[in-house]
Amino acid sequence: MSTLLQVEGLTRVYGGLRAVGDLSFSVGQNEILGLIGPNGAGKTTVVNLVSGVVKPSAGRVAFKNEDVTGMAPHLLARRGLVRTFQATVVYGDRTVRENAMRGAYLTLYPGFVATLFDTPAAKRKREAAEALVSELLDWLELTSVADTIAGSMPYGYQKTLGIVIALAARPSLILLDEPVAGLSAHETDQVRDTIKRVRERGITVVVIDHNMRFISGLCDRVVVIAHGQELAQGAPRDVLRDPKVIEAYLGKSYAAARAE
Amino acid sequence: MTDTTSETVRVGELGPTGAFERKAQDAGNHRVRNLLILAFVAFAALWPLVHENTFLLTMGTLVALSVIGATSLHLIIRTGHISFAHAGFMGVGAYVCVLLVMKLQLPFAVSLAGGAAAAAALALLIGPVVLRLTGKYFVLVTFLLGEIIRMVFVEWTSMTGGSNGIFGIPAPYPALAEPHAFYYFALAAALLCVGFCARILTSEVGRAMDSVRESERVAQCSGIPALQLKVTIFVIACALAGVHGALLAHFLHYVDPSSFGMVDSLNLVVMNVIGGMNHLIGPIIGSVFLTILPELLRGYVELQRVIFGIILIVVMAALPGGILELTARVRRLLASRRS
Ligand SMILES: Nc1ncnc2c1ncn2[C@@H]1O[C@H](COP(=O)(O)OP(=O)(O)O)[C@@H](O)[C@H]1O
Ligand SMILES: [Mg+2]
Repeated sequence: MSTLLQVEGLTRVYGGLRAVGDLSFSVGQNEILGLIGPNGAGKTTVVNLVSGVVKPSAGRVAFKNEDVTGMAPHLLARRGLVRTFQATVVYGDRTVRENAMRGAYLTLYPGFVATLFDTPAAKRKREAAEALVSELLDWLELTSVADTIAGSMPYGYQKTLGIVIALAARPSLILLDEPVAGLSAHETDQVRDTIKRVRERGITVVVIDHNMRFISGLCDRVVVIAHGQELAQGAPRDVLRDPKVIEAYLGKSYAAARAE
Repeated sequence: MTDTTSETVRVGELGPTGAFERKAQDAGNHRVRNLLILAFVAFAALWPLVHENTFLLTMGTLVALSVIGATSLHLIIRTGHISFAHAGFMGVGAYVCVLLVMKLQLPFAVSLAGGAAAAAALALLIGPVVLRLTGKYFVLVTFLLGEIIRMVFVEWTSMTGGSNGIFGIPAPYPALAEPHAFYYFALAAALLCVGFCARILTSEVGRAMDSVRESERVAQCSGIPALQLKVTIFVIACALAGVHGALLAHFLHYVDPSSFGMVDSLNLVVMNVIGGMNHLIGPIIGSVFLTILPELLRGYVELQRVIFGIILIVVMAALPGGILELTARVRRLLASRRS
């Protein structure tokens, strides 16, 4: 399995706080990697650093064997690296279809002059984007709500729509920041299925959460962090057994989960 | 620093609507809109013919010219930034055009292009810096920038004539010395500008602008080069502001720094706010309103500013979506009556 994303010694300091310190991990082609840790562990910061939203204080990020450290988000998106946001971020006043069309910018946009004159190339791109969006909405069973205003939909739908917006950019790697936070058990199962199907499209997935159950049922490998530092890395089964993980971080909640 | 913890969930007011119903409604709205636009253009075209009054004709010309400034500022507003330096860019266009005509004896068309290019160049120089700022910081910095530009007009006396300005500016072309001719010239320029802005806003560029305004981070992660887009629009809009300034100077036959200060920038902003910031028609309504209102109040010179201010506050407080919102409310009222 070839490596798609390689992170080495990633560090981000806020004032005196090391939100992420000397973190290294890699993600293989078509893998689902879980990144877990308690609230404030630095998970979102890792996503921000990898997706170019925040610049690292130190360390290196390589994507498809290219050094992309500190590269702007829109350039990373062009290279196939796309992320979602922790709180659902959709365009709340727009329809579901319009949200997806905006996500399809890279397929859609033909250049400034071409779009103003609506050249044949622009028309072709628009048709391609419309086809892509229709296919995606169909695939995730959102066609029936395609003309619904996104902000008026239940939270679970909005979370899925966030994933649709990301998929519309045709990524090869997608980073999902807490895709099931705030969802019901039923909705969580649906999102888990969705993520598995995303992988079946040939897309590599990095999924962030603080829920060990959710992550272990989904991921091939997990990276556990606490206070911005790596605690353990490996198959979910092994990491769950790692005494360091149980003691330092999973202690109570894991015991509770097992007791259930 | 980018704060990722402040992501808010946006919740729209509208409930789900059937696709079919929505489409039918849209088509109806478009027909009404096209009729209104046609009526507006016809009214503007016939305006000089319905009366003999030169004052009313002058008002018409001033409205047409200010439509250029207000709609170009609207472009910037639609990327999520309210510029308080727009009159400064008007001034750059005006002075450069006038100096090219009067000092270098260049043809008007070339000078106009030169004025627009100068405003665009200045926008390109500072845009990449100031457009990184958000909300109130952008407002503050552009406000200062506008004042700095005005100060240059005042201080650079050898070029600009200082506070006295430059007198005896000729009409763009001899034929345009006739007020009716200039009116139609200004109207044509305004229509061109509105058409151009409408084309941008309805194209994929407009869609990208909406994405950036509504959620810059999501937009960027979809591959939209937000800063580059905002700079491009800023440059285009400032070039158009330069055209507005140049045409105004050649219409009034003089130019001085007092036309390009913070009050004038504020006027352009208020035209957008009062008309409605979410639609291109907003600044057009605002231009009509704000050019004519001070003239109506001219009889009460001392009270003028007070009354002007009160009207503005009332409109802004009662109609946050501008005068455009009034039409939406009336439509909703009629719909609820009918059902
Ligand atoms: N923009 C920021 N400025 C200052 N501190 C931050 C910023 N972003 C995150 N932090 C801090 O970094 C730590 C990790 O935050 P975060 O990555 O959001 O954690 P998680 O996503 O795992 O809950 C927290 O202590 C948080 O307060
Ligand atoms: Mg987080």
